Amino acid sequence: MGSSTLLLLLAAPLAGTLLLPLLPATVASVRVRGIAALFGALQLLVGLLCWQTPPADLQLSWLPKLGLRLDLGLDGLSLPLVLLTALITSLSILSAAADQSRPRLFFSLMLATNLGVVGGLLARNALLFVLAFELVLIPITLLVAVWGGEKRAGAAVRFLLYSAVSGLVLLAAVLAFAWFNPAGPLFAFEDLRQAQFSPTAQRWILALLLLSFGLKLPVFPLHGWQPFTYGQTPTPVVMLLAGSVSKLGAYGLLRFGVGFLPETWAAWSPWIAAAGSISAVYGALNAIAQNDIRRLMAFSSLGHMGLLVLGLSAATPLSLQGAVAQMLAHGIIVALLFACVGLIERKTGTTAIPELSGLMNPLRGLPFTMGMLLLAMMAAAGIPGLAGFPAELLVFEGSWTIFPRITLVSLIASGFTAVYAVRLFNRVGFGRLDNERAEWTSTCWSERAPAMALAVLVIAAGLWPTALTGWSETESTGLALRTQPFLSRSAAQPLSLAAAASPLIAVTLPSASELRTS
Amino acid sequence: MANIIETAKGAGVFGTLLTAVEVAGLTGALESPGPFTVFAPVDDAFAALPPGTVQTLVDNVPQLARILKFHVLSGAYRREQLIEQPEWESLEGAPVAIRRAEPFEVKNATVVSADIVCDNGIVHVIDRVILPG
Amino acid sequence: MTPPTATAPEPVTAPLIPPSTHRYADVIHRLEAGGSMLPDTPENLMQIIGIYKAYAVPMDFYWRDLLYIAEQVFLDPLPAFKYFISQEYLDLPNSYAGDQSKLRIWRGGEKAHPELLEFMANGEAGKMPKLLHHLWHDRINMEFAEACMEAMLWHQDMGGRFYDYLDSDAYRANADRAIKAYFRGNPLMLGLYRLFPEMFMEQVKKMSYYANLGLFWEVMAPVFFEMSDIYDEGGFSGVPAAMDFLVNGIFAVAGRPIYHHVYIKGECFEIIPKSEGFTWLYEAALPYVEAVFYRTAPFRGTKSYNAQAYQVPSDQADFHYGILYADVFPVGSAGIPPTLLMQDMLHFLPPYLVDLYKTHKRGEEDQLIQLGITFQRSMYNVTSAVIQALRDALLYPLDDTDPEHLMANRRFFEAQMDRFLRPEARLSQIQTQDYR
Repeated sequence: MGSSTLLLLLAAPLAGTLLLPLLPATVASVRVRGIAALFGALQLLVGLLCWQTPPADLQLSWLPKLGLRLDLGLDGLSLPLVLLTALITSLSILSAAADQSRPRLFFSLMLATNLGVVGGLLARNALLFVLAFELVLIPITLLVAVWGGEKRAGAAVRFLLYSAVSGLVLLAAVLAFAWFNPAGPLFAFEDLRQAQFSPTAQRWILALLLLSFGLKLPVFPLHGWQPFTYGQTPTPVVMLLAGSVSKLGAYGLLRFGVGFLPETWAAWSPWIAAAGSISAVYGALNAIAQNDIRRLMAFSSLGHMGLLVLGLSAATPLSLQGAVAQMLAHGIIVALLFACVGLIERKTGTTAIPELSGLMNPLRGLPFTMGMLLLAMMAAAGIPGLAGFPAELLVFEGSWTIFPRITLVSLIASGFTAVYAVRLFNRVGFGRLDNERAEWTSTCWSERAPAMALAVLVIAAGLWPTALTGWSETESTGLALRTQPFLSRSAAQPLSLAAAASPLIAVTLPSASELRTS
Repeated sequence: MANIIETAKGAGVFGTLLTAVEVAGLTGALESPGPFTVFAPVDDAFAALPPGTVQTLVDNVPQLARILKFHVLSGAYRREQLIEQPEWESLEGAPVAIRRAEPFEVKNATVVSADIVCDNGIVHVIDRVILPG
Repeated sequence: MTPPTATAPEPVTAPLIPPSTHRYADVIHRLEAGGSMLPDTPENLMQIIGIYKAYAVPMDFYWRDLLYIAEQVFLDPLPAFKYFISQEYLDLPNSYAGDQSKLRIWRGGEKAHPELLEFMANGEAGKMPKLLHHLWHDRINMEFAEACMEAMLWHQDMGGRFYDYLDSDAYRANADRAIKAYFRGNPLMLGLYRLFPEMFMEQVKKMSYYANLGLFWEVMAPVFFEMSDIYDEGGFSGVPAAMDFLVNGIFAVAGRPIYHHVYIKGECFEIIPKSEGFTWLYEAALPYVEAVFYRTAPFRGTKSYNAQAYQVPSDQADFHYGILYADVFPVGSAGIPPTLLMQDMLHFLPPYLVDLYKTHKRGEEDQLIQLGITFQRSMYNVTSAVIQALRDALLYPLDDTDPEHLMANRRFFEAQMDRFLRPEARLSQIQTQDYR
């Protein structure tokens, strides 16, 4: 498989972004939606082909004066995230209403977002990464500003501000990489990995990276935009935003922080872990107090990102695998959550918890949607058998030997997820359905289909956890900064468990160490 | 003077009442010394009841007796005595309310002719059948 | 020939009393004009008549089985087959319908309704042995009738003499004889009776209420069937006409005796003899309306029975869980679980109602809820008939010319409407057609 496959991965959304606005205005919204989903499906298909036959890296020169090269590559870390993005893009496009207003612009902006995310995941050049990172900003701001809820203007502006700062800081960090590199301004990943930075330089750069990606994920205390924006964003956009755009931040932390600045990361990891666990507790406690379903899920997302950061900070092979698993699991779970919320909002017209009750009613409620919501909330709470459990289990198992108390706090926070899950479901699902307001029609199969697909994946990932971890085992082992004391035979030996477990990938993708030599 | 039954027979407007009293087996009681106060509904009062009402009662003696006993007070009272109390206990057990003095009203019936004195009591003629409750 | 100087027809006389200032003033004025609490529209008429017919078919089973349990099953300690009515009771002729009846004002027959017999044979699942139908719950939901009976048993101060009579010496003596006769030759049960006489007495009282309710519904079934027939012939001009038919019906059988005769090994024991003089109106109908339409009890799970939680009123008269206050969703949020009755009625809906339900809300999917709300409307109509009957019996005619009489009527109506001031009452909702 030639490296042009990587270009195909980018070409699909790019073509969609450019071609959709050119469709005649007479095409029905449903048709436009279908065509847009096809582009996403095409990307997913190419991604699956890449899984079967890993493509070689692509290196094209673009703006050599600036150091900007079109270096693209896929490894065990980025492949699952690319697949996740492609999947969620297709499903979130299909979750849009059949009578979506201004569909051509809407769906092309969504594909533009996808382009940015996938571009960032494929990038092997830091400047290219920054470019893709910034590219994500404008489409989402437009999507929120034009199609959002009542307070969409404020939400869009706030998102724009936070993301712009995040992008600028990231640019500063990358430029700092170049500035402080004794070998000269280099941006390619392999160069950055080998570069020797002074401890002061490392600290500066890591601080900037933490600020930038912390705003993106987000992590407490940089989360100010999230609940507001998630509350005002239309459902398909928030599925994409929460499901895959936020993972870009985690990916960046893993690639840049753990990968390029290991010493400083290890030194700062207690603070990073603390921030993660505070995020987890803060998110869970706030979610318990919310009166709006979307904001509840925003805080829930914040909590889960906190766990992810915990896994990244511990940086043992198991915890890094857990972090990657959490990225994937949380991606599909939160997409499913927001898909269900979107259905509820479309039918009942509101997401305010005090106004909803009795939706499980089999005759006049939304029993199917509530069933899927229950599944999603159980998965978010980490019930075994669903996708959330293996991810959280790995994070905790991998982290507690390094940060026992912080992990305990995060465990308690994870327990709190059950509280708000039950509270939400109790208020909204059970109880008396208000006959005066139960005017809505039931959902039809085409409306349920995207959520059903996600639900199937949630169950499948829960029953077969290798789907979450198998992609990245070699990579996480390679990136790990610490060993797992109780598992390794000797301190110096890499984790033998990874080698013994059968990887998902039939052919081992070039690992980080191999990339270095290519 | 005649007793209550004879007075009623003589008046000629109490055919239904007398038949009911006969069926209920209360004729003997109303011929006894008493004394009684009887609120006697005229035939038109029974006819005004929806069809079947009287027949069902006539078919069921104890129930008929109960309704009839509600029209009888123990003791003979004239109008002036009756209007002094808001309620009087009937033979059936439930109270009979005296709702107005002028015009003289017993429960929801108007007394068209009061103070008809007989040997064993006083009869007041009413234009409706009164019911407990 | 009308002289040219003749005056125009006299103008409508001014009302004798000022209009009401009650919240439900327009309903009160409608009642004073001879109407019902339910507005007079053709669709309302169609809905209530259709549901009366759908209600009357299972009712035909209820009254027979209630009498069967009260008179035959009696004190059976493990009455597993109490719903397996005997042929004798299934064929019991209705005392108020059919040519053998003493009161022939309704045209229907005295036998069990053919639709009922067909349902008892086949159910929803088709021909199966009766036991399988019973276990599959593919039958008439007798539990609903028993729940109505229990509401009447538990609530006190509803008028009539029945409740107090059950504590009287005469009743206890009769019950004692019956208990001893029933368990003759059974030293275990007789010994238990010696130890716990009140427990057995309570069971006998319960059986008396079974009989009471059975005798009540025995009359209502032919009334409803007759109403359905009249409607099919086009004989009702509107909802008030249907209500008037009910009023006349109530009066016609007001004097029906209420009794409890038990048959133990062929011998009849009169636990409550007819000679006590209990009447259908005072001892059955009025307590039934009070207990089942207004009060009942909150369905398990909807309210906490913990006294310290103060969720259930401490005064029985304040109970507001009957059909007039019910939230008609089949998740048990009303006092008597209406679900069971609604499912029964679902089997016997006339075709015009099925067509009506197909065109509203979710069509065939939520027929149960739609018919439940129709049932609520119809019960408001029945309650209006009871209110008008009471007014007719205890107060003054609607066309009375005496203002004091009219004010007495007004006060009576307002007192009745006061019971619907609480937020759970559905009176305001049934005034619109949108409530489905």
